[in-house]
Order: sequence, then C-alpha cells, then structure tokens
Amino acid sequence: MKILVALDTKDYSRKILKNVARLAENTLADIIFLGVQEAGTNPAKSIEKALLKYQQDVYSHFSPEELPYADFSSQKWKEKGPGDWIMTARGMKEFCLRIRTGSVAKQTIAVAAEVGSDLIIIGCGSKFGCEWDGEMNVPLRIAKDAPCSVLVVKHVRKAGEIVSILDQSVVSQDSLEMVNQLVTLYDAGLKIVGVKEKKGGKKDKIEKKMVDLLKYYNDLGISAWIKLLESKDVKDYVTQSSRKAIVALWMGGKESLLKKLFSRSMVDKLLETTRSSLLILR
Amino acid sequence: MLKTLLYINEDLASSIALRYLAYLNKVVPIALYVAHVEEADEKEHAGTGWVRRAWEDGVASNGKLLVDRMLRTENIDCPLAGRPKIFVGDRETEIIYELRSGNYDLFAHGYLNTADPDDFFSFINSPLHAKAPCPVLVIKNLTVSKKYALLCADSVDSRKLVEKSMQILGDSTFGFDIVFFKFKENEQLVTLEREEGGRNLVEAETLLSGMGKTAENVVVLSGTPEQVGDYLKDYALVASTFPGRKSMRMQTLANSLASVLLVR
Repeated sequence: MKILVALDTKDYSRKILKNVARLAENTLADIIFLGVQEAGTNPAKSIEKALLKYQQDVYSHFSPEELPYADFSSQKWKEKGPGDWIMTARGMKEFCLRIRTGSVAKQTIAVAAEVGSDLIIIGCGSKFGCEWDGEMNVPLRIAKDAPCSVLVVKHVRKAGEIVSILDQSVVSQDSLEMVNQLVTLYDAGLKIVGVKEKKGGKKDKIEKKMVDLLKYYNDLGISAWIKLLESKDVKDYVTQSSRKAIVALWMGGKESLLKKLFSRSMVDKLLETTRSSLLILR
Repeated sequence: MLKTLLYINEDLASSIALRYLAYLNKVVPIALYVAHVEEADEKEHAGTGWVRRAWEDGVASNGKLLVDRMLRTENIDCPLAGRPKIFVGDRETEIIYELRSGNYDLFAHGYLNTADPDDFFSFINSPLHAKAPCPVLVIKNLTVSKKYALLCADSVDSRKLVEKSMQILGDSTFGFDIVFFKFKENEQLVTLEREEGGRNLVEAETLLSGMGKTAENVVVLSGTPEQVGDYLKDYALVASTFPGRKSMRMQTLANSLASVLLVR
C-alpha cells in the first residue's frame, strides 16, 4: 500500500500524524509526505523543517526493532525536477519526503497519480468549515479529483462508527481493506448502507454486494450493520451521519450513483458538517 | 428446543437471517425449519385436478431450487430439523397456516432496515404478524453479542413482555439488560435515575426476580427514537411487545439496527 500525506506547517497537519503512524504500522505502507510551497528555486526552510519533524514523529511511534523504514539522518534533498525536491529512505518499506511548488491541490493530485498512491490523507482546519491554510478549495478539490481514495481528517477524535455508503460502484479489495483499517484505527463499528435507485431493477446487484461485504467483514470479526436507503434519502442521511461518524463514500466506477448524487457542493457540505473525517473510496 | 420456522427468499435479508439463526442456535438451542412460498401468478395456470397439480409441482420445484441454492451458498453451521417446506400460493396465508398447524414456538424472517419507520410499521402490522400464533423474530442484522435487551416503556405490558420473552430466551446463555424508553427531544441521549422508570419498570423487575432472573443492567433512557434505536444496536436482539400503533416505541424498534423479538 502507498499512502500520500499532504502536509503543511499548521496544527491540523501535525494532529493527523498519530493516525498516519498507526495506519503505517497496521498496513506496512510506503509513505510519502508532501509539502507544497507557492514558488521558489529551493525548498522552503519552514516546510523542510516541518516535514523532517513530522517524519521523526512518525518514526518515534515505532520501536527500533519494528521500524520498517530506514534512517533519514544521512539523507539529503535531491532536485527531481524544477520545483520538485525529494528525500527518500528505503528500508523494508519506503519513506519519502517531497516538496513541490505550485497549487496544493494540483500538486497533491499529480504526485498521487505519479507514484500510484492508494490513499491520500489530508488534515484540514475547522474554523470555516474545512479549510487548508485559509483556503476552502483544497481538501474539496483533492477529495473530488484525486485518482485514489482520500481521507480528509477534520477532527482527530474517536469515532464510534464508520458509515460506508455503497451503490453500484466497483468495490475494490483495497478499498475494503481501507475501511477495515479505519475500523481498527478508531475501534469503531461499521454501518454498510446500500443505495437503491428508483428503478428497482438493480436491487439484486446491490444486495449481492452487501452480502459479500457483510461476509468479508464478519469473517474478519468486524461488527457490521446493514441498512438500505432509497437514493432520495441518501443526502440527508449522509449529512446527518457525518456529524457523529466517519462517512466512507464509494465513488468509483462509471455506474456510480453516488458520483451523480454527490455534486461538488454536496461534498463541500459534507466536509463542512463533518465533525470527524470523510473517506472517499475509489 | 425452540421449534422455529424461518421464512427465506433469495435475498440479502434471508441471507442475514440464516446466518443469524446459526449464531442464535449456539445460545438458544433451536429446532430450525426453513420455509419458502412460491407466489405464482394464478393466471398462468389452467385447468383443475391433475393439470393443476402438475403446474403446482412445477412451481414448487422452482422454490425448492431456490431454497437449496440459498442453503448451499450460506452453508450455515446449524442443522435443519426437517426438510425445507415449499408452498405454492399466497405467502402470508401459507405461512400462517403452517405456523398454526406446525405448533411453532417462534417465527423468524429477515428485514432490511430502511430510513422510513412507516415501512417497519407496515411490515409488522401485516396480516402475517397480526395472525401469527407465536412470537416473531424480525432479523435485521447479524449482531454477534452475548446480550439482549428487554425494551420497556409506559405503553408496554410488562407481564406479557417478561413472560413471553422468557419463554423464548429464558433458557439461553444470553445475559440481558432492561432498557426503559422515555421519549424526549434531547440533543443527546440522557440516562435518568432508575425511579423514572415508574411502576412498569418495577413490575418487570419483580416478575423477572420471581423467575430467578436478574438483569445485568437496568437503564432508563430519555431521548428520541433515533437515539435510543442507535443505543440498542450492540444487542443481539431487542425484545418488546407488539406496538399496536405508530408510537415512539414503534419508531425506536424501527430505528433499532438490532434484530427485534416481538411478543404478545
């Protein structure tokens, strides 16, 4: 698994590190910490310092004998291209620090595509809904346009429940595993909510998918509850759930009803109302 | 052993119900009978006598294939007490007849929770449930828990609830809690003092004590049906009396993600 974590120097970035470390520990993932600066011919000192500090914080989560990543102390920044710097330590797994210039959302999406990341994690401030360094657009744009799953962490708090919303989308093994990891991370219960379209024809397909999911999670010993919703009830249900639970939306695939239901403004609203985190699964 | 009739169809609700009963069998020994009704279109058949019988046999064989497929797919760890029963006709009529003639202790079937409590009310107020001669287990989820809840409220006949529930669950290895529900529009669920449960709660506890049973916890909850319904989700099941009308307790049962045992 490859996890890309978009970070800056703000508090909301620092706060997500503990969960990143636990995820890394549970999944033995390759990690990329990405900092983005507006412009410059050299990496900004503040971002360099922040990324190195964050790297040390994650490393300190592991005991020396369990740390799957190599030591960073002898590593230096290398210029990968104009406005693109990298520092990599390769142990059993790879840990990479990267700084790029440009727009945060665009660079995060670009790096995610380049490295083939499975998950992007990004924190956000909650003062004005869900913002990144005062900008409302960044978490939203990444959540909407990323080529992989995205976890937006607004508040690092224990969530009692993960509510996963499922429609006709293709459910990949990786995304199942991701939900599984979140359940473990937050010691939460799992609600699997199936969405049926108005035209009843695809009900069997959704139910078959829900059976498969239920079996998968039951076999892992994860408590899961089932609910079925009409498509007209989804938005209200998700908005309400987002206040207390982590909402996981499966939004992959051409057939995705959720993609149609959850317009930009709706995802924006979800990011605004959530008091925990939002996971977009692809 | 509890003689139990489980109605199945080829759907998610039945899949969950089969698995749930396999789990329940470990806690409450069950003699499990499975039934399915093929509701064929009467316009499709013609004739009487052997012609009709041949038609019915054909329809029934479809039902048998369906049940065999379900049992094979689910592969539950719970032996069936007899061969699956396949009927042709109106689902509710056939099931009611079988429940009465078969002298069952419990009728069970699956139900997929939806957002609308009215759906649940319509479901439990169907003629099937109105005429069922035994308690009904509405299986909503596969909650693997060692506890069930007795849901009391001011509208609940405590004697019926305790006596009928104990007939089903009294010999099980389940622990249980008493949850007394008081409706109030709160921001959050509030736990009240035990005394707030009033006479109904005291009666329930006294009756249980007389049977040598003690609840592990007794809790009086003040909140909305959604809040209490959510609270109940970790129980293996919630036992209550049949709600006769669209009450707050009915809505709580509708909102409960735990399976519901209804007694009268």
